Amino acid sequence: MLSKLKDNNHVVGYVFSAPFIIGFLVFILYPILSSLYYSFTDYNLFQSPSWVGMANYEKMFTDDEKYWKSVFVTLNYVIASVPLRLAFALMVALLLNKTIGGIGLYRSAYYLPSLIGGSVAVSILWTQVFGDQGLVNSALGVFGIDTDTSWIGNPDTALWTLITLSVWQFGSSMLIFLAGLKNIPKDYYEAASVDGANAVRRFFKITLPLLSPIILFNLILQTISAFLTFTPAYIVSRGEGGPLDSTLLYSLYLYKRAFQFYEMGYAAAMAWVMLIVVGIITLVIFQTSKLWVHYESKGER
Amino acid sequence: MALSPKWWSRYGYHIFIGGLALLMIYPILWLIVSSLKPNDEIFSTAYSLIPSTLEWNNYVTGWKGFAGNTFGTFFKNSFIIVILSTIGAVCSSALVAYGFARIPYLGRGFWFGCMMMTLMLPRDVTIIPQYIMFSEFNWLQTFKPLVVPQFFGIPFFIFLIMQFIRTIPADLDEAAKIDGCSKYGIFFRIMVPLIVPALMTAAIFSFYWTWEDFIHPLLYLNEPDLYPVSLALKLFLDGESLNNWGGMFAMSTLSLVPVFIVFFVFQRYIVEGISTSGLKG
Amino acid sequence: MKRVLTILLTLALSVSLAACAGGNGNKGAGNATNAPSEPVKTETPTTDDKKEPVTLKIAWWGGQSRHDYTLKVIELYESLNPHVTIEPEYASFDDHWKKLAPKVAANNLPDIIQMDISYLSQYGSLGQLEDLTPYTQNGAIDISNISEAAISGGKIGNELFAFNLGSNALLSVIDKDMLEKAGGTMPTQDWTWDDFTALGPVLKAQGKILTQDLRHDVFFPFYLRGKNQLMYAADGTSLGYDDDKYFIDFYNMYKGWYDNGNLLSLDKLAQKKGTPEDGELELGNAVSTWGWSNQYILSSTVAKRPFEILPVPGWNENKALFLKPSMYFSISKNSKVKDEAAKFISFWVNDVEANKIIMGERGVPVSSAVKEALKPLLTPEQTKVFDYVAWAEQNSSQMNPPNPIGAVEVDKLLKDTAEQILYNKLSVADGAAKFRLDANKILAANKK
Repeated sequence: MLSKLKDNNHVVGYVFSAPFIIGFLVFILYPILSSLYYSFTDYNLFQSPSWVGMANYEKMFTDDEKYWKSVFVTLNYVIASVPLRLAFALMVALLLNKTIGGIGLYRSAYYLPSLIGGSVAVSILWTQVFGDQGLVNSALGVFGIDTDTSWIGNPDTALWTLITLSVWQFGSSMLIFLAGLKNIPKDYYEAASVDGANAVRRFFKITLPLLSPIILFNLILQTISAFLTFTPAYIVSRGEGGPLDSTLLYSLYLYKRAFQFYEMGYAAAMAWVMLIVVGIITLVIFQTSKLWVHYESKGER
Repeated sequence: MALSPKWWSRYGYHIFIGGLALLMIYPILWLIVSSLKPNDEIFSTAYSLIPSTLEWNNYVTGWKGFAGNTFGTFFKNSFIIVILSTIGAVCSSALVAYGFARIPYLGRGFWFGCMMMTLMLPRDVTIIPQYIMFSEFNWLQTFKPLVVPQFFGIPFFIFLIMQFIRTIPADLDEAAKIDGCSKYGIFFRIMVPLIVPALMTAAIFSFYWTWEDFIHPLLYLNEPDLYPVSLALKLFLDGESLNNWGGMFAMSTLSLVPVFIVFFVFQRYIVEGISTSGLKG
Repeated sequence: MKRVLTILLTLALSVSLAACAGGNGNKGAGNATNAPSEPVKTETPTTDDKKEPVTLKIAWWGGQSRHDYTLKVIELYESLNPHVTIEPEYASFDDHWKKLAPKVAANNLPDIIQMDISYLSQYGSLGQLEDLTPYTQNGAIDISNISEAAISGGKIGNELFAFNLGSNALLSVIDKDMLEKAGGTMPTQDWTWDDFTALGPVLKAQGKILTQDLRHDVFFPFYLRGKNQLMYAADGTSLGYDDDKYFIDFYNMYKGWYDNGNLLSLDKLAQKKGTPEDGELELGNAVSTWGWSNQYILSSTVAKRPFEILPVPGWNENKALFLKPSMYFSISKNSKVKDEAAKFISFWVNDVEANKIIMGERGVPVSSAVKEALKPLLTPEQTKVFDYVAWAEQNSSQMNPPNPIGAVEVDKLLKDTAEQILYNKLSVADGAAKFRLDANKILAANKK
């Protein structure tokens, strides 16, 4: 009787999932619900929230130019950075998925940029690369193009320096791809070699399908995190989102509303709109994944 | 003109990969060089990779920290927080991931949805209620708000490990089940060894993310002798003070060392982990 | 294992501390004793040694040097008052405010908070800060050497929510050598904006600029003062000036400098980190920098050469010049040890030994006794600042009341509008109208 219960799928499932469920109920649920409540209030942190119904949402959609500006900046950023970053990460992972001497050093070199993340050093560094006397302009000088544009300070190019920064810090996606490649059983390739399949064929017939769950993971997580990107914009533009709001990412604008202008209610409304939009996009990706993701285990989701 | 595959594998590969690698690490070199420049050269000759003199003193003034708290204290705090967090995050996430990926149970979709939702809500708006909550728990001024939640699974890692489990053929489980293994047995004896690369990946991320996180320590730790390195680095600079840029760069460089070592050691397990084929027999 | 030990140790310490702390019961968990040192028992206490032990939490912002000397002052205070243990909390400016935000919501603010004028209305009028007037009356804060003018800078209405730590005055810092090498002559004290404009071409011929930029939220309101206008209406529900002519005049002048290449171009300005180390004057590319008097020492220290100080043009129109507290200490409403907090503030502003450590880093001391005592110890550069502020005190009028709630957002709006004007996305006249419209919309929230 007891042993039967012990092996009941529902019981076993909850035993394994227990840490998350408990943690969710204890640590996460209350803050999430509070923020939902704040979004319907006028809350300045100093006085208790006062109910205003949909006013925050209304203002956001009808009476806030900057809000829409930040939406477009964010969409630009997501659409450009996610594919570039994933493609670059996959390419480098394929190149580094070898067992030859010194490969560990190469892998480290490619991962290193991701380790300096959001420190102050990065913001100064990025000025050194994209500033008026930066590396990029020196490199252009070699090709006879003399310019002292500041790529960071120019409203037309500032966002691209952030996109470059995000592509440059592609290490985490690369690492996940590497681990995924490692998980593909070697005998699949051996069998394919015997059948006379060439490298390109092997890539499309074995590597891509077997890696597809990992690609799905990276696609979803990179999309979510691109929508929520804050740190690079914050440190490179000193928290301003300038010049001319060209790097005013959604999260940066939300942060300013919450912690510079003390409009927590408005910020919470922004956050929930973001949650819904990103949620829908994620759902769409999940739905399409049935067409292209190959799971070894059947009967799942 | 076509180069033979042999030439490519011997030289071309290294030239290409190595060249690109140099480009990738230029910024790191710049950081290290800056940490050895005298304070007033950091801005005036920022573009140069060769300092006029080697200013090792930056490491001394930087290490000195702030009024009695040296970077020794900050590193110690970081290590306590990071090691506990990483162990907690990886172990709990692996358990939950197995539950989500392999056991069909009632309500699984709902909880999975909750998990994805926590990934999508901007953190800024939960900071306040979270702070109030931890203050009700009487957890402020301790490492608890930073460490304890990590023991309840981190959505990013749960999802990551899930996707890895799904690349493992289901017949493995079936075979084990026929051999009389319970779900628990399958998880610990069969699954865990197979997902070592995923666990190591999670460990590397967890270590680094906790290491660089300063926002949570900033909110929950008030006293400088509890500060981790990430937060201490932010104490150097201020718009209205004379700043020790050299010290800041020196300590930034030093703070890279542990994360780099962890990465270097653990990446071997990602790529040289136990391969599935070995277990099939 | 270590973790468990730490928890146990923390618990044990907090229990024992709570036991001896008796009634003063500090809110919040586990007060791990973190004071740099236990009160020095051997020292002969100057005050009554039977006093209840007290823990004071103090939060401030700054950089490494400020953290270091502030902690020295705290140690000095603790050695003189063995019953007091001070828990410092320090951070950079942005982090300081980020850190305080959830504490406001949780009613858990530190006892003493370093306050900035831009946040004073918010914290003060929304009930987070204690009115210090009673403490100045009962002598807990000794104001016998401090002028009423210096104190009033921390008032909102009749309530004193913040205590001035040092006086600041606006100034321009001029690199005289550069100017004379370029063939210009050093302007006199009574110079005008036109004199400043006229220096532009002189310096441009040498490839130099006038200055990197002028902070919009500081110099536009100052310009308005000269025209006898206010930036904000007294009730804080709208802008204070009615005629857009002032905006148009000021920004036509500003745009003129910009278009003539006398200011740093905006794309290069965006690269600046805002620390003295990368300022254009300090790097030798600009002839001047504009700001508050306590920044002068930094500029000349970083640049390793002396500069000249001039008042800002228009200072003598309508007595536009004013003294402003550089920063304040405030006591939080939720503090349980307000008397002790007040005593510490009094020590900070009045004690000569303490101020020999501070050396005017937080602005020229407000106590005349302290000022006198420091005079012989000042470097020539510090003397310049002290003299300038003393001169300004004689030639200024009362500062404007602290900005209303929402001003942080309006200041940001002004900066954005000015940027759009300089980028030619808006004409000056359109900018003036748009700024008025949007600013009034923000400030209208104060009507209640």
